[in-house]
Amino acid sequence: MKTYRNLFNFVCIAVAVLFVLNPPVHAGMNAFEKLRKESANIKTLQANFVQKKSMKILSRPLVSDGRFYYIAPDSFRWEYVKPVKSVVIAHKNSTKRYVYSDGKMVEDKMGGAQAMKIVLNEIAGWINGRFDQNPSFTATIRGGTNTMITLTPVGQSMAGMIEKIEIVLSREAATVKSVKIIEDANSFTQINFQNVEINKSINLSVFQDVK
Amino acid sequence: MKGILFLILTILLFSCQTLPLINSPVSSVNQKALTCPAPFLKEKYRLVHTIETRMAGDTRSTIIGVTLADPSTRSVSCAVMTAEGMTLFEAESESGVLKVNRALPPFNSADFAKNMIDDIKLIFFVPEGKLQTKGNFPDGATVCRYSEENGDWIDVIADKSKRTEIKRYSSSGILKRQIRLNKTAGNVYQHIELQGNEQFNYSLSMTLIEAQPVKSKLLRTKSSRNSQR
Repeated sequence: MKTYRNLFNFVCIAVAVLFVLNPPVHAGMNAFEKLRKESANIKTLQANFVQKKSMKILSRPLVSDGRFYYIAPDSFRWEYVKPVKSVVIAHKNSTKRYVYSDGKMVEDKMGGAQAMKIVLNEIAGWINGRFDQNPSFTATIRGGTNTMITLTPVGQSMAGMIEKIEIVLSREAATVKSVKIIEDANSFTQINFQNVEINKSINLSVFQDVK
Repeated sequence: MKGILFLILTILLFSCQTLPLINSPVSSVNQKALTCPAPFLKEKYRLVHTIETRMAGDTRSTIIGVTLADPSTRSVSCAVMTAEGMTLFEAESESGVLKVNRALPPFNSADFAKNMIDDIKLIFFVPEGKLQTKGNFPDGATVCRYSEENGDWIDVIADKSKRTEIKRYSSSGILKRQIRLNKTAGNVYQHIELQGNEQFNYSLSMTLIEAQPVKSKLLRTKSSRNSQR
């Protein structure tokens, strides 16, 4: 259960970051307040992403491609297209994860769905841009060419799992550029977002069709 | 009393399994000519697979496995991660010493790391034990049987369609692992099926994402020096 909480934190953190699509902010508490105000205007969101996993054992990063969809207040689809086909769908109080097996998508039965519900409740706060109000993380924000938010786990709940998370916001395009989830000195996951579209119509079937 | 004794003996007899019969070539010339199947690594390799885990025939989850294996030293490093990129397990084994660097539930059980390293060695390395018998099964498949130091038996089998199987039996002949290598294109490790028979039976279906030979640091230094000349 604990593993799944942290596993889906990976997804959820990335999801949450997409809600911080905003103009440049300045360091300090006002910056977080500004994030909250601006994220309130987001009704739908969709983007492609490229995930690069780096580890000591890998000579080059393992690259995964995927796509993300969101409709306020709580429908989302986080989908990997390759190398492993998998999808997490949350819609109408139901959260499920599917993996590709024998030519079709089948439900993941490792018991992660229940844990995901808990995590999704947690990110409800992030959806509203409340990065600095999640008791699991200490949030700091730094201005500059690109704005960077750093989330550092509080206490022992994520000890040995996540060291810190770095979120980079683009100053020019006012969008999230990347998220870096650092597990330890030798292992991190970098997610770069592309073609981010805000408040563009999304067909509800995206949250119903698994394929 | 005699009835109970008979019952116990009957149960004991039936609980002892026997290894499949191998027909060895009669002449020593033919026996020497028979080549053992060897679907094993010849050099250090890094392999990345998707791994579908199944229990009771049902797909439970899909994860990504990375293996770094060196047949010359029989050293292994491995990692398991989720599609989302989270590392669930990381371990290495060198000179028989196992070091677990990371193990999150359910990969943190006492025997998991050892069993996983043993399975990787079974798939990628030629058996360490002594070659006991070589010959054919009644269906014509070529088989070589090795006896391991711990009493286990390993059969390496190539059937007529050149599909390769590796089977590990306990000293009493109980099948513990069954590995099928289905070479659909290019790499012998393109598709690997592993059946584990433990307290809870499980199976893994592995599909290759990428494979690359790993040059040793010494070789890399030499080749870079040569290219500079």
